Amino acid sequence: MASGKAVDAVYNVKPPVPARKLRELYYMAHCIHSHAAHFYALAAPDFIVGPDAPPSKRNILGLIEKVGLEVGKEVIRQRAISQEIQIIVGGRATHPVWNIPGGVSKALKADEREKLKGLAAEQLDFAKLGLKLFDDLVLSNKEYVDLILGDGYELVTNYMGLVDENNKVNFYDGKVRVVDTEGKEITKYSENEYLENVAEHVEPYSYLKFPYLKQYGWQGFKEGQGTSIYQVAPLGRFNAADGMATPEAQAAYEKFYETLGGKPVHKLLATHWARLIEILYAAERLNELVNDDEILETNVRVIPSTTPREGVGIIEAPRGTLTHHYWTDENGIVTKANLIVGTTNNNAPISMAVKKVAMRFIKKGGEVTDGLLNMVEMAFRLFDPCFSCATHSLPGQMPLAIEIKNSEGELVNKVSR
Amino acid sequence: MRTVVIGLGNTILSDDGVGVYVARELRERLSRDSALESIDVIEAELAGLDMMEILSGYDRAVIVDSIELGGFEPGTVFRLSPDDFRTTPRLASFHDIDLVTALELGRRLDLEMPSEVVIYAVQAEDTLTLGEGCTPAVEAVRERLVNEIEQYISGDIRNRVSIDLCFRKS
Repeated sequence: MASGKAVDAVYNVKPPVPARKLRELYYMAHCIHSHAAHFYALAAPDFIVGPDAPPSKRNILGLIEKVGLEVGKEVIRQRAISQEIQIIVGGRATHPVWNIPGGVSKALKADEREKLKGLAAEQLDFAKLGLKLFDDLVLSNKEYVDLILGDGYELVTNYMGLVDENNKVNFYDGKVRVVDTEGKEITKYSENEYLENVAEHVEPYSYLKFPYLKQYGWQGFKEGQGTSIYQVAPLGRFNAADGMATPEAQAAYEKFYETLGGKPVHKLLATHWARLIEILYAAERLNELVNDDEILETNVRVIPSTTPREGVGIIEAPRGTLTHHYWTDENGIVTKANLIVGTTNNNAPISMAVKKVAMRFIKKGGEVTDGLLNMVEMAFRLFDPCFSCATHSLPGQMPLAIEIKNSEGELVNKVSR
Repeated sequence: MRTVVIGLGNTILSDDGVGVYVARELRERLSRDSALESIDVIEAELAGLDMMEILSGYDRAVIVDSIELGGFEPGTVFRLSPDDFRTTPRLASFHDIDLVTALELGRRLDLEMPSEVVIYAVQAEDTLTLGEGCTPAVEAVRERLVNEIEQYISGDIRNRVSIDLCFRKS
């Protein structure tokens, strides 16, 4: 979706409204199944099975034992429904080729729209089921609430997210808003202004860069007011926005902040709750869009007529703000590209959170149990990271060299590829 | 017996695409064989929960992919079972579930999952360089692997090019 918007910009063309709505509709379905897969398959076992449960139980299979087969079946069924929506709208659920410069390659038919209405209604029920489970199994359990509210999983940074004209969370379009650790707006920028606001720090030990706020300059891995580090993804979006653009998600957003003590929330594990509220938002928005008659209009593409040059596209990926910047030759062949993906934005926060949680729970001389190690894993799992997207290497190969040294620091072996 | 052959990989990352290339050639051959034309051949760049859905509804599955194991010549073909991947009860990915969990999850959810799953994994030389087509060492084994899979799904296990995990362990 970000690449589609970047290519629109490369060709200096704005898709017609029906095309933009169809893209958003497709994307809402994607957000539902992406967020649902993360919560039910990867994150929920930590809470619902238990953070110190044995690894053989702390997985999606153990989760099903706990919540019942019917919930498991419903998750898989709803995941398939999200993908069916994507196939109806865009031809394919993964790697669609329907999103093209200036719009989309096919309009929506009336009978397809009728089918979408039924599917979207089911997705809304599913979104509510997730929040009910979270209420029943997490928020009503004092141990888990203490874990969320405790000082272990807390990181005080700035926050970033895409917002609409009312500063409400938006996944497809709008401006990128950044707030500080107290929730005050630092900047709000358009796509073509991202380089004035974000820069990327490089450390020699990592293939991932460490983005930071350019106006503050790189200050190292430091949290607290004045830091140049920012967080993205559900918690970043919530803190950076003033609310949600759909009614039930807005009510859930208000309950979120009331329960957690007001804005901004720095409690990292609250991300999981925010993710479930975003599923509700996506399902509500999906229903709004399928019931919008404009999605049936057939003017779904503006044919590009200018020579392509350069363009930037920004969306909110489930894992955070996603920026694609392309430079092309006059034939539209990409000559240079810059991608700042959700997980790259969160690279410094992930590193800091892991260190902080490890130092909080692992004590010198104490036993490092499997449960403790999982508590550390939970610190990075909550970001729903995608390191394969975030890892960038210019040569196209991995010039990896591992030096093995003995206790005297002498080189024993060197392995390279 | 409902059988599916799934070629996994990315065809713009050199040897990573070998599973897809094998699947394409096999599909072409099976389309000319009336006894085998009902077998589904799928190309995919997917894993985890997506694989669970693809595998659902089949009695037998053949998965073809590239692999990188230390100490083996590129082009070596391993014949593996899901149990060979049962290495940890932990999450194998931050992003999705692994094949073993996908199969187990499907069974627990009462989906019709294949009882027979064989994985052909080709030792890759290069899965990082952008480019279409495989390296010569992997390309050299491709046709023989297609022959073996065609024979395997026909019930013939002679003339194998692959070696099983026991051989690797020894």
